[in-house]
Amino acid sequence: MIEVEHLNKVYGSTTALQDVTFEAQPGEILGLLGPNGAGKTTTMRILAGYLPATQGTARVAGYDVHDQPMAVRQRIGYLPEVPPLYPNMTVESYLHFVSRLKGLSAGDRPVRVRWAIDQCNLVAVQKTLIHKLSKGFRQRVGIAQAIVHDPPAIILDEPTIGLDPRQIIDVRNLIKTLAQDKTVILSTHILPEVNMTCQRVAIISYGKVVATSTLADLKAQQSDQVNYELDLQGSKATVENCLKTLDRVMTWRWQTTQQPQRRKVRVACQPHPDLGHQLTHGLVHSGIELHEMRRLGSSLEEIYLELTTREPNTQEEIEVDDLEANPIAEAVASTPPLDSPAQEMDPSLDDIEDEISP
Amino acid sequence: MILIFNNILAIFRKELQGYFKSSLAYIIAGVFWLLACSLFVSEVQLWTAQKVAGQVVDVPQESLKSFLSGMWWLVMFILPSLSMGLYAEERRHRTLELLATSPITNWAVALGKLMAVWTLFLTLMLPVAGFELLYLIHANPPITLGIFFVGHLGLLLLAAAILSLGLFISSLADSSILAIILTYALILVLSLLFLLGERWGEPWVGIFDQLSLVKHYVTLSQGVLDMSSVILFASYIVLGLFLTAQSIDLFRFQRR
Repeated sequence: MIEVEHLNKVYGSTTALQDVTFEAQPGEILGLLGPNGAGKTTTMRILAGYLPATQGTARVAGYDVHDQPMAVRQRIGYLPEVPPLYPNMTVESYLHFVSRLKGLSAGDRPVRVRWAIDQCNLVAVQKTLIHKLSKGFRQRVGIAQAIVHDPPAIILDEPTIGLDPRQIIDVRNLIKTLAQDKTVILSTHILPEVNMTCQRVAIISYGKVVATSTLADLKAQQSDQVNYELDLQGSKATVENCLKTLDRVMTWRWQTTQQPQRRKVRVACQPHPDLGHQLTHGLVHSGIELHEMRRLGSSLEEIYLELTTREPNTQEEIEVDDLEANPIAEAVASTPPLDSPAQEMDPSLDDIEDEISP
Repeated sequence: MILIFNNILAIFRKELQGYFKSSLAYIIAGVFWLLACSLFVSEVQLWTAQKVAGQVVDVPQESLKSFLSGMWWLVMFILPSLSMGLYAEERRHRTLELLATSPITNWAVALGKLMAVWTLFLTLMLPVAGFELLYLIHANPPITLGIFFVGHLGLLLLAAAILSLGLFISSLADSSILAIILTYALILVLSLLFLLGERWGEPWVGIFDQLSLVKHYVTLSQGVLDMSSVILFASYIVLGLFLTAQSIDLFRFQRR
């Protein structure tokens, strides 16, 4: 349904996309996941026919985005990052306008507009001027305009941004309903979103697709290693020397320096029943004080971090505030997953991590 | 073809409804009617006074001609305020992305918008024309309707040309205020080109005379149906639409 092959996009001297390739089938929800500025919006704009690609091809329902733009535009519904709304129109007249613009026949229009209003729970505000609506309602009007002409492919740029928890659940359910017979591509930088909505995910980082896979496959790929987070006190050199002597330790990454000498490090190891014991034993015998040791689940968050922040030297110390160093943690902290009642009672980062781990 | 027509109609309806819902359009209409009718009355009084003073003048005809010539200034000041928001507002509300991803060409959008704003001007002119007719219908000797129709055709063509260029400026500007200022500047330059021609001498006189909006409008407002004037106005209208479609296409490439 949607095929993207070797897409490149260059803005002046900046390369926004490099060799982006993925595809999405009918009935599938594909999540485009990546940090802000990774190239998600650019990819979606090219698919929607808003921007031309510098190189490569993109096809929607068999039509080339560049060669047959009008055919493509009739077959996609697109919600940009900022919903394109006319503030002086009522919700209903706006949707009528969009459906006319999308080429719906006069007979179909009232039916389709009513359907979109029902689907997006806009009945209560259908006669209200758009500039009087809250952000959440505006976002839903934006989704309604993307689906009003019943397109086979729907592209949603951050569809749940600015919604309250109840609305997020509604929108997720709506997207799942829509995807029964349509292709949906949605972008997000919020991980629980992907976990809860998408069947497949394309992770984009610095304009490149670094992984395209089902969530289950991604997690399986990570099961050949076990990750620990250690909170310890001791000089950096001592710790590294000790880690080097342990054969099952593959790589490590410094996380923070909370106070002089006390640090957090994430260690990736080969699985072994005795691993925990070996690690604690080795560290303590080197004279390092171990304050906390935590086994990390192979959650989507870690896979994502691994894929999007892979640096040439993985042992480089990141001496930044915890939240800033970890864009995902920030995203997760600001948008806790909503399906778990326990989450609302204790929205600490650790619990959220557990929540999104398999 | 039907799709394109429906699209133009969709844009046309949306824009026109937008005008009728905005208070700005009513304020502009009020000012326009007040100034236009005052101008007409003052022209009639002026020519009547001349006749009373003993000159041989055809008061209704001369009043109409002077009124139509005077309308030039009014139109020039009122119309950019109608065209300023046509695209600048779309840009402000980020709705260009909706238009650019809908099955509608930039030409159709521009044409729909131009037709809507021109229709608004037509609606503004109808009461004024009715007011003129009310006076002229009782004129003795009766007025030749040719002057009335050709003069008003000229006014509508001039309006369409100004609005079309204003549409183009609006497609370039980020804000309505910037759009209106630039439109005034462009219209003023195009109107007063003949002055530059007079200063520079031949062959500029001929060239700038042909391009000047004022000169051609004055010809039509005197009741002379000169096809070269009609073609010039038509060219400005098409040029405005063409440049608008091109600029909207180009601006998508900008990184935002």
